[in-house]
Amino acid sequence: MQIENTAVSRKAVKLCVSEKTVSGKSARKVTTTLRPYLMVAPAMVIFGLFILYPIFYMIYLSFFDWNLIGEKKFIGVKNYTHMFADADFWQVLGNSVYYMVMVVILQMALSLLLAVYLNKNTRINRILQSIAFTPYITSMVSVAFIWMWMMDSDYGLLNYFLSLFHIPAVGWLSDPKVAMTSLVLVSVWKGLGYNTIILISAMQAVPGYLYEAASLDKTPRWKVFWKITLPMISPTAFFLALMNIIAALKVFETVNIMTQGGPVNSTNTLVYNIYQYGFEYFKIGYASTLGVALMVVIGFFTLIYFKVLSKRVHYN
Amino acid sequence: MDKITLKDITKCYGKNPPVIEGLNLSIEEGSFTILLGPSGCGKSTVLRMIAGLEKTTAGDVQIDGVSVRDVEPGDRNIAMVFQNYALYPTMTVRENIEFGLKNMKVPKEERNKRIEEISEMVGLTEYLSRKPANLSGGQRQRVALARAIVKKPAVFLMDEPLSNLDAKLRAQIRTDLIELHQKLGTTFVYVTHDQVEAMSMGTDIILMESGKIQQHAAPAQLYAEPANVFAARFIGSPPMNVLSAAVAGDKVSPKVEKIGFRPEKARLMSEEEVPGLRELVISGEVVAREMLGDQTQYKLTTGFGSVSVKDFGDSVYSYGACRIAVPYKDVACFDAAQKLIGFGLLRGDQFVAD
Repeated sequence: MQIENTAVSRKAVKLCVSEKTVSGKSARKVTTTLRPYLMVAPAMVIFGLFILYPIFYMIYLSFFDWNLIGEKKFIGVKNYTHMFADADFWQVLGNSVYYMVMVVILQMALSLLLAVYLNKNTRINRILQSIAFTPYITSMVSVAFIWMWMMDSDYGLLNYFLSLFHIPAVGWLSDPKVAMTSLVLVSVWKGLGYNTIILISAMQAVPGYLYEAASLDKTPRWKVFWKITLPMISPTAFFLALMNIIAALKVFETVNIMTQGGPVNSTNTLVYNIYQYGFEYFKIGYASTLGVALMVVIGFFTLIYFKVLSKRVHYN
Repeated sequence: MDKITLKDITKCYGKNPPVIEGLNLSIEEGSFTILLGPSGCGKSTVLRMIAGLEKTTAGDVQIDGVSVRDVEPGDRNIAMVFQNYALYPTMTVRENIEFGLKNMKVPKEERNKRIEEISEMVGLTEYLSRKPANLSGGQRQRVALARAIVKKPAVFLMDEPLSNLDAKLRAQIRTDLIELHQKLGTTFVYVTHDQVEAMSMGTDIILMESGKIQQHAAPAQLYAEPANVFAARFIGSPPMNVLSAAVAGDKVSPKVEKIGFRPEKARLMSEEEVPGLRELVISGEVVAREMLGDQTQYKLTTGFGSVSVKDFGDSVYSYGACRIAVPYKDVACFDAAQKLIGFGLLRGDQFVAD
């Protein structure tokens, strides 16, 4: 239908140019119906080429065995059966979900606290806001390296501080029980400023008269936050949390630089696993299968999140 | 007895010159006091200082004779209705009304009873589960009122609560408020720039201009005896005609600077009519005529400025040259400080100004 239209319109445009006076009216009508499609066409082409096509190609590849160079071999759902039977996959999935839950909860809780604290528009707060924002504009690679050094179990700054209080050294990145949480900390530290700034701007958009009404209603401070501030900024907080969920499920840089999935696979996440299978073991088919799994997982959590929370969000 | 007293109140914002300086006023218990004035005169600031939403720069606010300097707004036993209602958009109507009660730790049964009563009274019963966004302007206004009434405060503060409503609804809620005041018998303090609201509802009117009280009087007195030129020119629609004393020639004492008269006190004269005794006659020209059914309003230009005249008679005067007569007893005289000296201070039998 669209293609037909295009053909017609091209003709129409030509007509319009050559015989303006004769068929000007009908040609204009065609161009009017077609104009919106033409307007969105560039975006749609890019969307199709770089998003839709790769997604479908990934799904297609997940049914093949391919090493990137040789012939693709169709193997049906073998990749999937292998994935579901693989204990490693379940561990990686568990790691990813743990990481996501921790990052989102910590990120939202801390940025809310910080936003409340920095909300008042004073000079010192403006400076603190910029300081809190700095990690966000620093590249993840630099951040990862700095934290790797700080988290070093022998020479790291963190363990040095702990030793001052006679607390035994922690294997931040070498202890399988701790490593994932360390990555969570780095990610929260990096994103905190950004989340805080967004929440502060939402808080400042809450009309002042609501707080005045609340003070006349003898509202205790904690209740002002829970019953007025939080519901009023809920659309922003909801959106931020969703972005955090998706970003956390796609974590890669910190894992790649700081732990390479170790120790003993304890920090291996879905995206890092995909990278390993795709570009270290050259099992493109299986990597694609994991990619499909990642897509499903993100879709699943997004859906759950919408179902559970969207009713509690206040939209004007 | 005075319910609210303001003593030597000064209010500055930042380093700017004070918007209110050395203000003293008292509001009587059970009165319906109107703070009236043009925008920017400080009337809302006064109300907000009574509420505790603004700190006073200097001076003292007293409620029941006790300073409330260190009393939080929520503990002043007041309720306020805001111009934009300030309803909590995330809560239902019921939650909005209940919120203050919950904070005041009113038991649940009592809360339900009061909410039922109030919603019945203001006609909100079927809207209790709605959010403010799904209500009309008039309904929101009633929620705001209900939220205030339900707390059973000793003082109601209202900051232009009717200005966002259409004219018909405004007139209706005006009578509702009078009724409410009669019924509750509590003190109402009401801020408005609309003299119709002030005159129709108030038992006391405090007329303010640039942070100063121009007159504090009952509506009838405010209308009949404006304390100064400002009050004369602010009240009335159209307001009092205020002209240079030159219009009365040598019939007034030299300390009279301006004279004034209400539009309805002046009388348009037909061509052949002879002015009566003790009347001031001014000649001019009719330049505009508005027929309002029960009355006709004329605008005249005279040698001393433009003059409005209200005529309740049946005859209609045509455009063009015309004379008006004002009885001496209705002529207000103001001194150089624009203060009222008195009425009917003109000498002689008659004066015709050309």
